[in-house]
Formats: sequence, structure tokens, C-alpha cells
Amino acid sequence: MIEMRQLMLRYPTGKTALSGMTMSIKKGRFAYLTGESGAGKSSLLRCLYGGVRPSSGQLTVQNVDLRKAGERQVRRLRRDIGIIFQDHRLLFSRTVFENVALPLRVQGWKPDRLVARAEKVLEFVGLKDRLWSFPEALSGGEQQRVAIARAMSTKPPLILADEPTGNLDIETARHVMNYLMELNRQGSTVIMATHDLHLLDTHPGDIFRLHAGALAEELHYVRGGEQ
Amino acid sequence: MSGERINRRVDRAQPEALEERRMPRLPGGFSLPPFGLHQSLALVIVCIALWSVGVLWLVLQAGSVWTQGWQKDVRFHVYLQQQDAQKLNALAGKLQALPGVAAVRVIPQRESRDWLADWLGDAAEMTDELLSSLPRTVEVRPAGGSGEFLYDDVADVAAVFGASVNRGEAHLVQAQHLMSKLQNLLWFGSLIMGLAMVTIISNTLRMILLARADEVQLMRLLGAGEWFVRLPFVLEGGLIGGMAGLLAWLLLWPLLLATGDWLVQLNVDISVFVLFLPLLLGGALAGLLGALLATTRMASENTVSV
Repeated sequence: MIEMRQLMLRYPTGKTALSGMTMSIKKGRFAYLTGESGAGKSSLLRCLYGGVRPSSGQLTVQNVDLRKAGERQVRRLRRDIGIIFQDHRLLFSRTVFENVALPLRVQGWKPDRLVARAEKVLEFVGLKDRLWSFPEALSGGEQQRVAIARAMSTKPPLILADEPTGNLDIETARHVMNYLMELNRQGSTVIMATHDLHLLDTHPGDIFRLHAGALAEELHYVRGGEQ
Repeated sequence: MSGERINRRVDRAQPEALEERRMPRLPGGFSLPPFGLHQSLALVIVCIALWSVGVLWLVLQAGSVWTQGWQKDVRFHVYLQQQDAQKLNALAGKLQALPGVAAVRVIPQRESRDWLADWLGDAAEMTDELLSSLPRTVEVRPAGGSGEFLYDDVADVAAVFGASVNRGEAHLVQAQHLMSKLQNLLWFGSLIMGLAMVTIISNTLRMILLARADEVQLMRLLGAGEWFVRLPFVLEGGLIGGMAGLLAWLLLWPLLLATGDWLVQLNVDISVFVLFLPLLLGGALAGLLGALLATTRMASENTVSV
């Protein structure tokens, strides 16, 4: 699903975010990107959804070479990716329904199917009754659940989550992790950048520890508890 | 005492339930885009601009109606003294030959007598006495669109025969020419105002785009195509322009009502309805163009190359 070799990313400011990253993430895995602040987790995720183009090396996401891909290919790839942000990036001037339905509209779903699909994904995250609420009326945990519902609304094969539990208390973070794990069980590949290492005990997955823009350690989770 | 105080503090610490915002929903569950300060400002500015254009066109319309009322009455009267009456037909022939003259008529004395008798009323017995001292008259009717120098040509011919021309009648023709020039100027002015409105709406939408940059960014991250991102803003621009046009049209009515008596006195009948579609569609077009301009670069930046 994701292949990268000697991936390098240098911002126009001159800062090197990724230097010689080589790794591979197989389809259907739950992968954690860990590491200190500035290790390159968010930059890597940005590369994965085509937010920035790598400076050198090779990066293939779902058979799309992101160094050579045109804008149309990048757009098409993004439609196959669900993205969850730490600050959830909900549109506060829009209802929960409109937020959740946005990816569906981008993909050209017919309007009469939108409400039913939005209700279904909101039911999954336990917020079916808040369909017509505005995000400002929701708690931080509920807002993050809406962001998860938005990311999963199109049943994407790949979900990227950039510290989705960063602003949440332990209990709410655990609930959010449960939802992500369930999505993974349903077939989506989940790649999540996180600082919360204690979540790894209760929600195990492959661990890619980054340090100074490079891969420092790689631990693969084998069902049954062995790593 | 202290226990009561603590209880009160705890009570105050209870969060108040957030009252949920309610917005009218469109079919399909979508709500209208937020209408804030930027949109209101654009609406007001474009409305004022369209209203000004509308007022100018109304004034021109009134002027045209007024001068067109004269159009059928515009005549040059050339007067020849009685002692030169034998030159009358030669004068008429020369006048007829002038370019821009539609018709020339020598007014029969009988017609002059009838008109004079009618005009004098109770003093009609003086008609014959007056008629003998009045000059003979040749009536010249200009052709439509005749040149502004026709009056001078007529005056030149009249001078050759020792005749004179009614000077006041020249002013009517000059007023018509002025209206025609003003109309051309107004077309140009409307075009300039239109460009100004496009710029205003474009700048306003740029501000709206900045305010809603997160929405645009999110749509891009979700893989939205260029027109998916641009269309809501283009429609919003068109809607603002159209609403401004409608408002400007409505605001023309008080002006018409305020000047109603004056217009009736001048026998001028103007219609505000004629301006409804031009203002509405003109506003919407300016809004659409402004929005297209504002969103041209916005949606094409999809990925950052580093």
C-alpha cells in the first residue's frame, strides 16, 4: 500500500523534515508513527496525502508515485484517503451533517443518499442524534468523533490520523482509538501519528519510531501479542 | 457560613448548557453560507453603484421622453416679409434642396388667418389687419437624425432671400443632440461602473476566501476538483450581485414617487420596470465575473512543491 525509499523532504525555509526515510506499510495494517516533536511524523503524513511533494527519493501510495503524480492523480488519491487532524478541522459554520457529507459531495454522491450515509457513520461514533447540530455545541471528544465520522464516510482504504487524541483526556482518547481500531478491523489501513505511547498497550499495532526525520526503529505487531 | 459559600461556588462552576444555533435548512439538509460583514459591505457598495447607474438611466429616459415629445413638433419657421412674397416659392425650393430636410411647406394665408383668429379669440376682428402686416411663413421639417448644423444651413439660405428664422426652435434640436451624446456617455459610464463593481465583488470575495481559507483547504485535502471549490464562491458572488441589483431597483421607486408631480408637469412618463432586468442581471453578471476573478488562482494551487 505504501512504499518509500530514501525519501527526503526539505521545506523552502531550508529545514529538512525527512532525510532518507525508507519503510513500507502493508494493506490492512494499523501503524503508529511515533517520535519526539519535530521527528517528521506530520511531515510524513503530509507527504502521504500529497500535501507536500518529496524533494527526492521515492514514495508510492496506493500505486501512485507521488513525486511524479499530476494534480488530478493527487486529487484522486486524496478521495481514497480519510484524514483526521489533531485540531479535527471541522467547519464551524456548517452542521455536523454538512461536515460529514463534505467528502461524499466531493466524490459526487447523489444528494438523496447523503443523509442516510451521514446518519450511518454518525451512529458508528455514537452521534446520530447530533446530525443537525453545529460543531460549536459539541464537546472536544464529540468534535473528534465527528472528524472520524467524516474521515470514514467514504469508506476509504487508507486513514491518516495526525495525533487525533492529542487534545483529549485518557478516557475519550481510548474511545477514539476504539473507533479507529474498528475501522481497521473493517479493512481500512490506519496510519496514526501519536505521542501517547500508553495507547499502544491497549491498542496494539505496528510501530515506526522516527527520529530527526529518519526511521529509528520499526516494530511489527503480530496478533497474539508478539512483536 | 463557609460551607454555604463553598456550595455557591460549586453552583457557579456548573457549565451553562450551550444553546444550539438554528439555521434555515435548504433541501438536502444544507444550510445557506454564512452572511457576514464582508458580504453585507459588498451588497451595500454594489447596490449604491447600481442605484447610481439606474438613476442616471432614468434621468436619460426622462430626457429622451421629453425631447421625443418635441420630436414631432420640431419645425423651423422661416419668415419672409410681405413685400418679398414673390420669392416665397424660390425660397421653399432652396430649403427643400438642403440635406437633412424632410419636407418644406409654404403655409397658406388662409391657415394663418384661422390660426390667428383662434389665437386672438375675442379680438378676432383684428385678424385681417394683423395678417396684412405679418410675414409669409415657410415651414421646414427636419428629417430624423438630421445634422446639428441644419439650423445654420436653413439660416444661411434664409439670409440669401432676406428672410429670418425662428431662433428658439433651434434649441429643441440642440437638446436632442445633447441627449444623444449623453446616452453614449452613459453607456461608457455604465461600463466603467460595471468594472468597478466587478473589482469590488472580487476583492470582497478575496476577503471571504481568506476568512474561509480553512474550508477551501479542507475541500482540497478531500480531493475536491477546481470547480467544486470555486462554484460555491462564484454562486455567492452572483447572488450578492443579483441581490444588490434587486435592492437598487427597489430603491429607485422612492425617487420616482418623490419626483412624480414634477414629471407629470413635464408630461414625462418613465418606467422603472424597464430597469428591473438590466439591474438584476447586470448585478448578477458583475458578481459572477468578480467571483471568477477572485477564485482564479485559489483553486489551482493543489500541492506544495518543496
